[in-house]
Amino acid sequence: MTGPALLEVRGLQHAFGSVVTAKDLHLDFQDGVLTSIIGPNGAGKSTLVNLLTGHLPVQAGRVAFRGRDVTRMPVHDRVRLGICRSFQIVNVFPRLTALENVLVPVLALSGRARRPFARLSREAEARRAAEAALEAVGLGPAREVPALALSHGDKHLLEVAVALAARPALLFLDEPTAGMNPVERARLLESIRRLAGEGRTTFVVVEHDMDVVFSLSARVLVLHRGEVLCDGAPAAVRADARVREVYLGQEVVPAPEKAAAT
Amino acid sequence: MRPGVAAAAWLALLAALCAVPFLSGRFAPYLAMRVMMMGIFALGYNLLLGQTGLLSFGHGAFYAAGAYGLGLFALRVSPHPILGLAAGVAAAAVLALVVGALCVRSSEVYFSMLTLAFGMMFFALVWNAREVTGGDDGLIGVVRAPVELGLARIPIERESQFYFLVLLLFALSIWVAHRIRLSPFGLVLAGLRENATRTAFAGVPVRRYRLAAFVVSAAFAGLAGALEVLLESGARPFMAHWTHSAEPILVSLFGGLETLTGPLVGSLFFIAMREVIQRYTEHWMLAFGLLLLVVIMGFRGGVVGALGALLGGRRPAGEGR
Repeated sequence: MTGPALLEVRGLQHAFGSVVTAKDLHLDFQDGVLTSIIGPNGAGKSTLVNLLTGHLPVQAGRVAFRGRDVTRMPVHDRVRLGICRSFQIVNVFPRLTALENVLVPVLALSGRARRPFARLSREAEARRAAEAALEAVGLGPAREVPALALSHGDKHLLEVAVALAARPALLFLDEPTAGMNPVERARLLESIRRLAGEGRTTFVVVEHDMDVVFSLSARVLVLHRGEVLCDGAPAAVRADARVREVYLGQEVVPAPEKAAAT
Repeated sequence: MRPGVAAAAWLALLAALCAVPFLSGRFAPYLAMRVMMMGIFALGYNLLLGQTGLLSFGHGAFYAAGAYGLGLFALRVSPHPILGLAAGVAAAAVLALVVGALCVRSSEVYFSMLTLAFGMMFFALVWNAREVTGGDDGLIGVVRAPVELGLARIPIERESQFYFLVLLLFALSIWVAHRIRLSPFGLVLAGLRENATRTAFAGVPVRRYRLAAFVVSAAFAGLAGALEVLLESGARPFMAHWTHSAEPILVSLFGGLETLTGPLVGSLFFIAMREVIQRYTEHWMLAFGLLLLVVIMGFRGGVVGALGALLGGRRPAGEGR
């Protein structure tokens, strides 16, 4: 063992009323291992991301980032430590331009946002970092476009760019390709692959698209009703009988339904 | 608007305001001062509402804190107007720091209701603490002592002299609000307005920034309140009343949220209509209300937004801030 895991989850519990969304979860996320979280609707995927990023308060259990307890840490402090996320439903600043969207995390994390009399137009270094975050997802040409005027797929890309601009060590992407056309999807996956390869950011991706999951990840985590059903390499997970039963079977077998849904 | 044109327009406005006291009569300078004070109040208020997206119903309290801060300082410590103004602004800011720390924990409607509750409590306090505040009589007898600056001694006793102090502080307020809007801090405030959740996930301590915006806007309110005391030589408890808190909201909506000039244009209309129509009927709010209805239903961006659309077509990207 080489020190503590990037993120360590111990005995995590969560329930919405009587619906259990996390049942005594014990998980480790290691540096550099691109993990996908899959599972049927209501499996607790988004809840898990919400709990680990501080979007939802943890009801019981413990979360540690690089050995440091972050269970009750406020969101903005986690982001400063290096835990960030994107949202399933696009969650950007609609009336700010794409560049301004990514400038917010860049300025906040460099401590330059506190100055009420500095001129934003003269923040050359921050602008360069923000432009780099846009370029990383292929949104460079759209920098002056207000977020609300972007296409649906580009909004998702911007969502990822805003999260990336925080330069996280651990980045959760909650269904990043939802509603994207194949071109946008390929562009985003290419970006994720490249950024993961650079090794600065460890990605954890919640995803529905099985092609994406199996082509991208080094590890697949299958959740079902708040429990880990299966956890391992993509090939092993694909071969697992229980996974096929609760999840893959539903998607793979009734082919016409899938065609109708897309 | 191109930067050159905008600068020229600001200079023209400044020149026009400088000329006002030399016009005949006392009414025009008085009116202009009331507009500028309302402008300072609304300008600061709009940093909170237009920029940060927080609707406060309690800013009358900060206006009154500025007013009573200056009044008590002038009557009990020193009549120096600059020190008095500083005392007023400080009183408003400190009150906002305390009230705001409690209010920014909630957002949206709960935030608004909390500010309303605190505002009403402050009004009750001012109304009932007769020994300190003069109760329903208010503070009376504040004089405009000369501004002592080392060797220089500038009289502001006459309204035409006091006018230039108001103008100076009005210009300063515009400059400060302008710089804040174009700063990294202002961008983060706009981020809070657009999406507070995302701002937190951008590493911004949301409450602290909301509190900062709250205190800054309260300081503007305090300055406006303190100036009114110098103009009217007294403070009235109704400055703290919630109906007074509504004025910068109406003014900002009328002129246009999210613009620098909106609150100023709104203040001009608001004060001019109040002072002029009130001479004929006390129901001047009916007229202003009707006009506000037309503006809100017809032009989303207020008067300034509508004019901008008329003159420049689509506004440039980034003007949303």
